[in-house]
Amino acid sequence: MIDARLLESLDNATKDCISCGFCESVCPTLPASDYDLSRGARGRVLLGRALYKDLKEKGATEVNVADSFYSCLDCFACVHVCPAGVNAGEVSDIAKEIITATGSPLESQKKNVATMIVNSTMKYGNPLGLRKKAASWSEGLEFDGSSKTLLYTGNMYQLMPFSKSMGAMKAKLGNRAAERIAGYFKSHPQFIKLSGMFQDRTTREEMENSLRNIYALLRKSGADFNYLGEKEPYPGTFLYDLGYMEEFKEYANTVADLFRSEGVRRIITIDPHTHNVLKNNYPGVVKNFDFEIVYYLDLLDNKMFEPGEEDIEYHEPCYFTLREPVYREPEKTLSLAGNVHKPRRSGKNNFCCGGPSELLYPELAHSVSERRREQLEAGRGRRVVTACPICYANLNRDRDVTDIANYLSEHIKG
Amino acid sequence: MDLKDELRSIAGNHVFSAKEEIIPFLSDASYFTGDEPIAVVVPGTAEEVSKIMAVCSRTETPVVVRGGGTSLTGASVLKGNGIVISMNRFDHVLETSVEDKYVVAEPGVRLDELNYHLEQFGHFYPPDPASSRAATVGGSLSTNAGGLRAAMYGTTKNWVLGMEVVMPDGQVLQFGGKTLKRTSGYDLTSLMVGAEGTLGIITKAILKIWPLPETKGRAVAYYKSIESVGEAVSELKRLGITPMIAEFLDRLTMNSITRNKGLKFPQDAEYMLIIDVASTRESVERELSGAADVLKKFGPIEVTTTTDSGEMEVMYEARKGAYASLLTERERSTQRVVIGDIVVPASKLADTLKESIEKMKELGIHSGLVGHVGDGNIHANIYADLEDEDEMERVEKFQREFGAIAIRHQGSVSAEHGIGMEKMDLLIDEFEGKHSLGTLELMKKIKRVFDPGDILNRGKLLRR
Repeated sequence: MIDARLLESLDNATKDCISCGFCESVCPTLPASDYDLSRGARGRVLLGRALYKDLKEKGATEVNVADSFYSCLDCFACVHVCPAGVNAGEVSDIAKEIITATGSPLESQKKNVATMIVNSTMKYGNPLGLRKKAASWSEGLEFDGSSKTLLYTGNMYQLMPFSKSMGAMKAKLGNRAAERIAGYFKSHPQFIKLSGMFQDRTTREEMENSLRNIYALLRKSGADFNYLGEKEPYPGTFLYDLGYMEEFKEYANTVADLFRSEGVRRIITIDPHTHNVLKNNYPGVVKNFDFEIVYYLDLLDNKMFEPGEEDIEYHEPCYFTLREPVYREPEKTLSLAGNVHKPRRSGKNNFCCGGPSELLYPELAHSVSERRREQLEAGRGRRVVTACPICYANLNRDRDVTDIANYLSEHIKG
Repeated sequence: MDLKDELRSIAGNHVFSAKEEIIPFLSDASYFTGDEPIAVVVPGTAEEVSKIMAVCSRTETPVVVRGGGTSLTGASVLKGNGIVISMNRFDHVLETSVEDKYVVAEPGVRLDELNYHLEQFGHFYPPDPASSRAATVGGSLSTNAGGLRAAMYGTTKNWVLGMEVVMPDGQVLQFGGKTLKRTSGYDLTSLMVGAEGTLGIITKAILKIWPLPETKGRAVAYYKSIESVGEAVSELKRLGITPMIAEFLDRLTMNSITRNKGLKFPQDAEYMLIIDVASTRESVERELSGAADVLKKFGPIEVTTTTDSGEMEVMYEARKGAYASLLTERERSTQRVVIGDIVVPASKLADTLKESIEKMKELGIHSGLVGHVGDGNIHANIYADLEDEDEMERVEKFQREFGAIAIRHQGSVSAEHGIGMEKMDLLIDEFEGKHSLGTLELMKKIKRVFDPGDILNRGKLLRR
């Protein structure tokens, strides 16, 4: 049986659609899937409607909806052009929650790769069980153990070298073989740590460099903070994104308890996904989640940057532009150190990097990122700058993309 | 080999037949739901389309061709048995010639994307239906789409020079060409425009392009009576003033734009008339003042003028999004906004608008009235609850009466949305009104010549 609340949410999220197709025109996964409409925004809403009707009338469905909803990047580009205010991203989120709910009639549509990640996160506090590796960037750096302010990396930068390799491996193996392997791993999560052997070494160096630069920028700005090192857990973003809400709730409470036990009052986030999940999703599942969440760019001393003349093409993270409230600090800060240009698809018309699909649909992710690269290359900027590790890892195919922290670090006075 | 295998042998994995792959193809922007196709094929080349059509012709399999799926009359969903061919993968602009004033585009290119491309060359393709964000070249050619700028530039048919077409038997033919004029036999290019995918499949289009206007200006007038709107537009026409855009909106629509876009209008205005002129920098003020003088003759509450491009763009988008604004004000989710679409000669506008409003009142129709009045095109944006039989019956009756008003004033039952499944009876009404049912018989004969097996978009446009 499906929870009546979920069914009602699906009804509300889909019933206003008039099938005008406007959402399709901005959905990055539609052209990337060679126009398989079930992998586009309108298709997701129509399938959501069909799923609602089936569940309401028959309590089950014969339609295999999982790939449609899991392939959604959750970028929310669609809602900004919908004349009826429908959000295909939200429809996908609800549908994924229905698929993964305990006792769901769609149980068989669960993705093994997703379940594997969820099991590992629940067991190890990291999707790949790699907390030790996740802390290695901080070797030799000093932190203030008594500070109530926490630098919280959320492990996102650190996961990129592995997710990139795993995505590439999954693309090589094909979906079926990858699902079979993931099916084994999901029951034997201890073996997931083997994924640590499959890392993109260059990406790891780049990511660790970014983390060190973020640390240095904050320190130069006079910030004092603690860091949990190997104790730092992943925030559980995947659990939320993959629709595992029951697990997400349990996990988020564990993370919040850890923050409390460490005496944390203020949390500095360094990537848009972690920032969003703490700011917008945790308060819904953790009672009295009253930590101050602040983005690291807000703490930087802007006077330290040397004005630069370089033309840069800034790729905005979807979480900062397509969701409310819009967060403009990355662009403002970059403008202090360079001439910022943005591709045509920016702002409320932003085009995702494809990254959120990397683990489940690497080929789709690659196709989306290729399109985004073309758009960025058509711009006036000579160097592409990103403000999210996922965007960075997905767009940086030719080692020609720069993370915002690295760009800013190059432009410090003196 | 069954049909699906044959299709796979041509288009590889671009053939969909699983339920979840098919469901999105059952809907377009109309209120019709299509029947389930045996398969959906998304070919990538004209050669593939040709082979697919040869198979469909041999197996007598009906075919619906689909572009952006923005049809408002159900033209792009399947009725009965058959397959759907989606042209989305034909999404490239192939050639642009500023010197020769044409662009060659594939049918899956969306109109806004085409115009973004042309802007880089200082040019544009004028047809601008409200769905231009999602509508494609192929679909808009097949519907003979219009839009706001049709007042000056005409509809799609004025901008198509030639095309490549795959015939139902698989032949690949070239119609028209790259020159701005030609007299080389029957104009098959024109015949294809507005044919709603019933004659052949467009795989390439050669479109005329035009330099972007040097500058634009706008005069806006607010009136209390609908007659004033109609008379003002007729007078502009009579004096030889050809606006680029001539749009009107009623109070209901203005109110919804105020609520959704924050734009304010004078409180006692019942109707708004927007007149845009496109001209050179030297003459735009003169032309604008000429248009404003005309608007002032018909008792306006207020007339304003502007040449501020930002201000004009905000209102252009609000007008283009009027349908969207009305949609947000639906009382129930089962309600749709069904769009009536008629056209009359400009001199008949005042009477047509008055009679349409009376008919709406008589039938208890809740509708916003807007229109591209520069070319006599009126839209009734009707709130219609698809699950309320009584309301749907009244809406259908109004649509029939709305068409009858147009016919009475020597207009047409469809200005720019086509016939599809929605207006097949109205089309008969139109030719009956002209005592010319023979015209429809001639159309049916043409259809038989192009498509003897009646496999292309069966059950649309012409009643069998």
